[in-house]
Amino acid sequence: MPHAGQSTSLGIASRAGLYVHVPFCDSKCGYCDFYSVAIKDRDTSPLIDALIREIGVRVPDSGYEIQTIFFGGGTPTVIPIEQLGALLAATRDAVDLSKVVEFTVEANPATVNDAKAELLVRSGVTRVSMGAQSFIPSELASLERLHSPDDIPPSVATLRRHGIKQLNLDLIFGVPGQTLDTWRESLRRAIELKPNHIACYGLTYEPGTRLTAQRETGRLQSCDEDLEAEMFECTVEVLAAAGFHQYEISNFAKPGCECRHNLLYWRNEPYIGIGPSAAGCIHNRRYKNVSDIGGYVRMIGASGLAEIESEAIDRETLIHELVLMQLRLNEGLDLRLFRERTGVDPRELFAEPLGQLSSSGLIEWDDAAIRLTRRGRLLANHVMAELVAGSAVSGDVALPVIAA
Amino acid sequence: MTDLRLIRNFSIVAHIDHGKSTLADRILESTGVVARRDMREQFLDDMDLEREMGITIKANRCTCPYTYKGETYMLNLIDTPGHVDFHYEVSRALAACEGVLVLVDATQGVQAQTVANAYAALEVGCDMILVINKIDLPAARPEDIALEAEQVLGLDSSGAIFTSGKTGLGLDELFAAIIEKIRPPAGDPDGKLKALIYDAKPDVHRGVICHTRVYDGSFKRGDKIELMAAGRDYIITEVGKCRPKPTAAEVLGAGEVGYFLAGIKTIADVSIGDTVTLSSDPTDQRMPGYQPPQQMVFCDFYPGIGTTTDQLREAMEKLWLNDSSFTYSTVGSDALGIGFRCGFLGLLHMRIIQERLEREGNVSVVQTAPTVTYEILLTDGATQKIESPSELPDISGVEEIREPFVTAQMIVPADSVGQIMQLSMERRGRQVKTEYLSSTRVMMTYDFPLAEILYDFYDKLKSCTKGYGTADYHLKNYEVGDMVKMDILVNGMPVDALSVIVHRDKAAYRGRRLLERLKKEIDRHQFEIPLQAAVGGKIIARETIKAFRKDVTAKCYGGDITRKRKLLEKQKEGKKRMRTVGNVSIPQEAFMSILDPED
Repeated sequence: MPHAGQSTSLGIASRAGLYVHVPFCDSKCGYCDFYSVAIKDRDTSPLIDALIREIGVRVPDSGYEIQTIFFGGGTPTVIPIEQLGALLAATRDAVDLSKVVEFTVEANPATVNDAKAELLVRSGVTRVSMGAQSFIPSELASLERLHSPDDIPPSVATLRRHGIKQLNLDLIFGVPGQTLDTWRESLRRAIELKPNHIACYGLTYEPGTRLTAQRETGRLQSCDEDLEAEMFECTVEVLAAAGFHQYEISNFAKPGCECRHNLLYWRNEPYIGIGPSAAGCIHNRRYKNVSDIGGYVRMIGASGLAEIESEAIDRETLIHELVLMQLRLNEGLDLRLFRERTGVDPRELFAEPLGQLSSSGLIEWDDAAIRLTRRGRLLANHVMAELVAGSAVSGDVALPVIAA
Repeated sequence: MTDLRLIRNFSIVAHIDHGKSTLADRILESTGVVARRDMREQFLDDMDLEREMGITIKANRCTCPYTYKGETYMLNLIDTPGHVDFHYEVSRALAACEGVLVLVDATQGVQAQTVANAYAALEVGCDMILVINKIDLPAARPEDIALEAEQVLGLDSSGAIFTSGKTGLGLDELFAAIIEKIRPPAGDPDGKLKALIYDAKPDVHRGVICHTRVYDGSFKRGDKIELMAAGRDYIITEVGKCRPKPTAAEVLGAGEVGYFLAGIKTIADVSIGDTVTLSSDPTDQRMPGYQPPQQMVFCDFYPGIGTTTDQLREAMEKLWLNDSSFTYSTVGSDALGIGFRCGFLGLLHMRIIQERLEREGNVSVVQTAPTVTYEILLTDGATQKIESPSELPDISGVEEIREPFVTAQMIVPADSVGQIMQLSMERRGRQVKTEYLSSTRVMMTYDFPLAEILYDFYDKLKSCTKGYGTADYHLKNYEVGDMVKMDILVNGMPVDALSVIVHRDKAAYRGRRLLERLKKEIDRHQFEIPLQAAVGGKIIARETIKAFRKDVTAKCYGGDITRKRKLLEKQKEGKKRMRTVGNVSIPQEAFMSILDPED
């Protein structure tokens, strides 16, 4: 499979993705650990102005040609339409849209109306990712989602009417109280809406979230691990039968409809991150912006940038990240790319753990790639940890020089 | 050379945390040996680990000049360790002194180690001064505590000195008492050289520094000396005194405490307690020497992942040159490969050695549970000592197994006597006597099998007594016990490093507890793992670790990479402490889970 961004490592014209983080939501969901705040009566314009400024500074300065754009959050569609328009216009100004192959905006049901849908399409947005999460009212309630199952179809229809052809629906399994039957029902209702992409996430108890606090204080009972594994296996089967193939642990698409922007993360390619708490990885350096909105607006006002962390990706880090990200993909860890970027053959580097993991039926490989097996995907963290712990990393070999 | 009349050699003994190091700091400071601006806390504790753990491990020393009634005295302070594991170091230091300050915390009173250390000083025949410390604290009861010390230790409370190491209160009185009440050293300055090596320390640049107490005669740079027990001659390259850094002097004479250098390469060449004399004119009165330290606790150290056996051996050799009070020998385990059986003075000593190995030797260590030495009487009448369950001969050839017993002294509040009796019974203890020190405090003497109090007894004692109880013990004898070897099987495979010798009555209970612990320590694998405890081939307890089915991160996008990678790297580090037995990964903690007899 051709890799769009690998040209960076060969020193040819480099391409990157652009991520813009809009940190506002109608309300904060109990499970969510992304940085966002409830919009309420808040004046969002200083933040939007700061985003526009950071785009204007970062994108031209990076030297990358932008290939994909993703507006995430938060819920980008909750901000006032004039501000959304200004943000989209600024993006158009900074990026050559004719080179952009995919432009995604995240939305929640009941946050898109005709005016906003029209604006999105007019501004070059090609894809919408909608947080449907579940079609069961009690499950939406325990996830603290504000919408009802009935809000989902009209929102999808609105987007379609204005010309959005590429549509993703997010769903969550492993929700407290969920059964295999209710999960099948959500999958069925999602398929019925004919999206070309579905993402199914096992509910994760992230540290510091309300959900985790509720579990720790015994106010909710988490889903049984075996049941969750069954849900995951059922997902793969049901979606495959409906024509969606799994291409990443949690992502399923109709042929050719994989999310190009997200693929770029999983293939360890460069991306620019804009906005509070956003991370970027450019020229072998990862940075992270300050999280809180006030701090972000101040820093952008002062210098046009808002980085608070930055790390050079050294060889060992790169090896860990290649394993961590590429094994998530069904296409697997690309042997040629790994050799080019690290100078070693992963089959030699991981010879010992590979042997053990393949005899346990968790991993397989050929001349092109190392891949998780279907069972291995359920135990991906275990496989990755075994690989890096058993690797024969020796010395610090310099990274191949990468052109700016 | 100093006039004998003007020399005082003394040591300070105390229960841990009674403020000995702080008082020593004040003595150094007020005699001007260490300038106030150079003062760090616990100046004499110069091992990093000592300062971190707030305890003294190796005895240190310092010579302090002090002017009293118009004459300048040389006060030689020899600091001693306070912990039960390091008794032998205390005795060593005391043997070089004429006097000892028995330091007691004015809020805590006499504790178990105060008693043990004061008895040790009494045995050596030191002059004793009772010092009640920390009198600046609001809860201090100096007069009551002094009376209590008189009753328990037989020290005259009317001569007690009240001090605060923190504020320096009472220091002048203390110096006066040291000079007035401790006898000056006896000895013949012109006699044949007789000196004792009471400690030795390696120095990378200058060879071994031997700390010495001179009894008769004198010696200086250029003298040819003989280490009498070793039967080796050396040429003295430097003599001096510690102030507290080694400082060269012209000569070391009778009654003095100091050090010498003689081009001695390694610490193994010096035996502590040896007598130094002049080769040309040797003394005919060799000193009796010291009992070598006795190792009470044994465990195995194996190389962790990323460390080879050779690297571990090298680190152990290096550490042993610095602290020869532990022993090691090569040992093999099916589960863990080639490692080392090590003997320690006690559990704290074991922990310190493990930590120093990892810290100073930069190696990763997998440690098995500590065990005591058992004495085996074979059917042919021969006896044999074993330091590990794996050394136990086939049971058909064993007549009896004898286990080490200790006599323990516990000083506890009177209202916790019931709980302590209960605890002691659970640990197969036998009551020897109970004495009331006052209406609120009791000294209880018990005999215990050492194995029963090895691990968590002290913590239990502390929790039964709200932190006020203290204990100290010494080895008594070996007694016959109904002991059996319990094997642990993980996924059907016996793991030799997890085997343990237990009392038959306690085997089933210990087996269940051990498996419960193991179950918590061993992560779920992608297959089911049975855990079994067996005695003589019979399964006495069983647990199962269920297979895991799902361990996968749901979301991993651009903003998550750093955090997820750090999680991955943390898991990788965790695996460094794992050993694979069959196809089960066992973390280091699991090998220690044998330790925990109760929760």
